[in-house]
Amino acid sequence: MTITRRQALAAGIAAGGLAAGIRPGLAQANEIVIAGSIPLTGVFAFAGIGINDGIADYVKLINEAGGVSGRKVRYVYEDTAYKVDQSVAVFNKLTGSNAANFYYSDSTGFAKTINPELNRKGSMIMAGASFATELNDAKAYPNQFIAGPDYSDMISVLLTYIAKTQPGAKIALVNSDTEFGRDPIATTEAMAKKLGLSIAEKIVTPPTSVDVSTEVLKLRRANPDYTIFHGYVLAPLPEFMTQAKQLGLKTKFMGTFWSMDNSLWAKVGEAANGFMGVMPYRYYFDEDAKAPMLAKIRQMRPEYVSTAYMQGFLTAMLFCEAGKRCLDAKQEMTATNLKAALNSIKDFDTGGLIGAPITITGNSIPVGRVYQYDAARKVMVGQGDWINVSKPS
Amino acid sequence: MEFDWLFFCEVTLAGLGSGALLALTALAFVLIYKATKVVNLAIGEMLMVGAYLFFSFAAGFGLPVWLAIPLALIGGGLLGAIVERTIIRPMLGESAISVFMVTIGLGSVLVGLVEIIWGAAPTQLPDFMGTTPLFIGDAYVSRKIAIGFAVASIVIAAFVLAFRFWRGGVALRATATDQGAAYSCGIDVPKVFSAAWIVAGVAAAGAGILVGAVGGISPTMGVFGLSALVVVIVGGLDSIAGALVGGLIVGLVEAWSGTFIGGEYKLLATFGLLILILMVRPYGLFGTVEIERL
Repeated sequence: MTITRRQALAAGIAAGGLAAGIRPGLAQANEIVIAGSIPLTGVFAFAGIGINDGIADYVKLINEAGGVSGRKVRYVYEDTAYKVDQSVAVFNKLTGSNAANFYYSDSTGFAKTINPELNRKGSMIMAGASFATELNDAKAYPNQFIAGPDYSDMISVLLTYIAKTQPGAKIALVNSDTEFGRDPIATTEAMAKKLGLSIAEKIVTPPTSVDVSTEVLKLRRANPDYTIFHGYVLAPLPEFMTQAKQLGLKTKFMGTFWSMDNSLWAKVGEAANGFMGVMPYRYYFDEDAKAPMLAKIRQMRPEYVSTAYMQGFLTAMLFCEAGKRCLDAKQEMTATNLKAALNSIKDFDTGGLIGAPITITGNSIPVGRVYQYDAARKVMVGQGDWINVSKPS
Repeated sequence: MEFDWLFFCEVTLAGLGSGALLALTALAFVLIYKATKVVNLAIGEMLMVGAYLFFSFAAGFGLPVWLAIPLALIGGGLLGAIVERTIIRPMLGESAISVFMVTIGLGSVLVGLVEIIWGAAPTQLPDFMGTTPLFIGDAYVSRKIAIGFAVASIVIAAFVLAFRFWRGGVALRATATDQGAAYSCGIDVPKVFSAAWIVAGVAAAGAGILVGAVGGISPTMGVFGLSALVVVIVGGLDSIAGALVGGLIVGLVEAWSGTFIGGEYKLLATFGLLILILMVRPYGLFGTVEIERL
């Protein structure tokens, strides 16, 4: 039989199409896929690189241990440069060519934008780098969760600590004029009032500002006991603290998760001494309690890994735990079943990544601990116990 | 309630100081535009590279500050020279918008290079300005901001004088006015172009060191260049004195609005001022008025 060139071409196209059609089906049956819009470049790259390593390392660990209920886990990702449009394009590409069960989102903007599409697909659940209070709403965001406390919860941990340490303390709030920065302002005021703390000053800084002299002057006149920053990574916190020290202010400076990386403060030097903040996870070097997972991380990574790494690692762990519970219950891995499996997590041991057993009833894990930077030892040191700020249901 | 004059004076001084930092960045912008008519949107990224070079010399190689600063400035000048010779000069004769777009691309390339070489994490420059508080009378001034103000004032004054009296400065002015006439007078116009980019690179690196000393360094610090863009539009795209005056005005407006209205209104006030200036004086306060006749 003679095969013409045209027939051979048609047969090739058909075979290719068949293979492309079959591959996702096979993948779905035999593996679990975590896909991710990861900000490996752009303004959030410092975190994205750590997040990526954290997810990849957990996937490696779980696969070496036999996978999730016998299924191997595959992690696929692409860089988004922390841009929502690019993140959406990556989502469409990755979920179009992979039967993703879980998705890592890089920002609040993307999490909000993709939510209707995520609900429409109904095949995966999503968590990510955003701790936005708005996402902590299981009705509006039924297929998403936050692998830690939301920003309002983080501030609640700080205020609970302050109320316990110095009842009636005066507080100043310094927030960046961004969606990230403005997130917890309203809840902070309400929570402070409830705890008997007073808000002495509210300062908002534009995202492009470099010099903070005028803001420090405001702080000097308010003379608060505590100053809580939110909406920043590092700058302009060191300059704030340096100038406040020059002026002899006694205020204690605090921050939230994205400002808490140890390696960032180690580069600041003496000015960083005494900086406090809330951490949802233990630090790489924490050895003050049983934390076998931290020991494993240290084995895999002899050098310090960032707080962003811990966030990525824990998120992957929770993805896999939800998948495991779903498969063990012999349920189909749909978004509804996966989210229900996630919400069945009760008093779960994260291997010491979080210093208290966790329960996920809604969209977040409202637990954190206050740490303080010790410039002489160049480490963040835990202050007191882990604080649970879950609201009574 | 009695008006707190001391507070007002302190806020005003802070505004003048941060305005001087803006002016220094704007100077680099103006130098290039004045000589080559190129609107260089990568000036913020050139500033960033200068700051990272200083970081490498001072923190990485552990060189003393008196050596690290000139080396970073030389590095900034070198960057200006390379950019001009390899990217901008081949674009001569192309439309202004093409060159403008090339500088946007250049900014992205520089950010990428910084992320590859130094990493994406923000960091701090080694402290070289001291931490002793500075008071003018009873009024507090941030030490770094005061130093920034002094440096910017001296540098800008030097440039104003150089353009007025130095041969090279006059050549640059002549080139800016009419390239053809400058050629016919024996001025080496390509060399003037190179010189403008080199000097602007040095100025940007200097501004980067000062900005980085105050606000820390990161691959995103180039956005500071956008604030400088407002300054040059207010002061006049081709006016060095305008860069200083524009910088101080923008610094004051930001400080007063941020303090007495609220930080969230700073940008609103700044861009409101920009619109107002463009409506009243489209070429800026001190910019050359171009008369076009049909």
